[in-house]
Amino acid sequence: MSAEQHYKFSDIIADPIIRERWEKVRRYFFLRESTYDMSNRCNIRCEGCYYFVGEKQFAEENTSESAWRQLLESEKKRGITFVVLAGAEPSLVPRLCAVCHEVIPLGAIATNGLKQLPREIDYRVHISVWGNDQTSLATRKAPDMLLRQMANYKDDPRAVFVYTFTPYNIDEVRQVTKTLADNGQQITFNMFSAPVGYDGPLRHTSQSLRRTAVIMGEMLAEYPQTVLFSPYNIAAHTSEKGLHDLFSCTYPRMNAATDIGLGRSFRQYRTDLQWNRDAACCVPDTDCRDCRHYAAGSAVVTARMYRHATDPVTFSSWLDYADTYLAVWVRGYAKGPNLCAAMINPPLPYS
Amino acid sequence: MNNDITQTITRIAEIIIDELKLEDVTPETFDPDLDLVNEVGVDSMDMATVALFLRDEYEIQIDEDDYPKLTTVRIIARYIDDKLTSND
Repeated sequence: MSAEQHYKFSDIIADPIIRERWEKVRRYFFLRESTYDMSNRCNIRCEGCYYFVGEKQFAEENTSESAWRQLLESEKKRGITFVVLAGAEPSLVPRLCAVCHEVIPLGAIATNGLKQLPREIDYRVHISVWGNDQTSLATRKAPDMLLRQMANYKDDPRAVFVYTFTPYNIDEVRQVTKTLADNGQQITFNMFSAPVGYDGPLRHTSQSLRRTAVIMGEMLAEYPQTVLFSPYNIAAHTSEKGLHDLFSCTYPRMNAATDIGLGRSFRQYRTDLQWNRDAACCVPDTDCRDCRHYAAGSAVVTARMYRHATDPVTFSSWLDYADTYLAVWVRGYAKGPNLCAAMINPPLPYS
Repeated sequence: MNNDITQTITRIAEIIIDELKLEDVTPETFDPDLDLVNEVGVDSMDMATVALFLRDEYEIQIDEDDYPKLTTVRIIARYIDDKLTSND
């Protein structure tokens, strides 16, 4: 045992506050996810969108409700308990989303929020925001995005706005977060993660990572009821190292093991209902070296519980991360106050 | 099978039953050759939880990359035994 690891796990969770949070998050250890591209169309075209990179964009759409029902039934039998409906734009095929919800009731939908999803699809709805409306117009070619997104999801408990930081919209998050807070809506943070082969200006630099970390911390302190995030989320997602280097990604694309965990159960279906193990991760065609994506972290950081159980502070940070992940992804899960105010460095694995 | 391994098997089964809240089975009746993933339904987070309590119990580290190898209680018992032996 290394010099830093003096605590038994049973001692760490003997603290009543830590134990309560541990019991709260571990109730969701049954979640097993897969992701599904719902269409090959989108009503906008954003610079740096990972969907329109690689082969998946050319998959033929399967629009048959019975085919989707059959797939989801087989997924359920395979042990999948949580679905993520994404690419290119799920709101263009609401009936297929509804079919998924009818079969597997827990899930989340990634949307640009310009077309409202029917309320009976009771998944978490992740609405992508890439800056203020001026910046959105430049990078997404769509006017008044935030205004329209907020109107479509006003008073909708499914909605969480996902702000993707690029080097060029860091300070705009102040305005966006305030606007959402004033409207009683919630936000979480994502990092632009370059698609394979992307050589454009949105790729983060050391300077933009540091600046993003500072602003994220300010937003978290100023709007604790609005911002679903934690100091450890900041540490994990703004490190110079990407998630794979920090935590060794557990998605099949980077993990050859098929016996247990994501390597065993995770699949990423294209819109033609086919999947390919070599491409299977939550953000296919993202450059793994640059991946700081919120969806990837939700699975990869959470899966590395063992290495965080070294002392009360490190484990509390992991609990904050897991609590944030569940609040962002699972309908009805309420985030608790963060347990750890310090921004700790991600621990190395035991070896 | 030596007595130490038998005791280890029983203790591992006890930890798995307690932590994963398995019903209708006792440490004594738990089949040590059951496939934990395919027959008991253990997943990676369950395995991480069990690994933490095994770390407490035996004061050994369990490498995250070793989870896929730990497919039965008997294999876990041998894994622990090997670790303890190499620590001597």
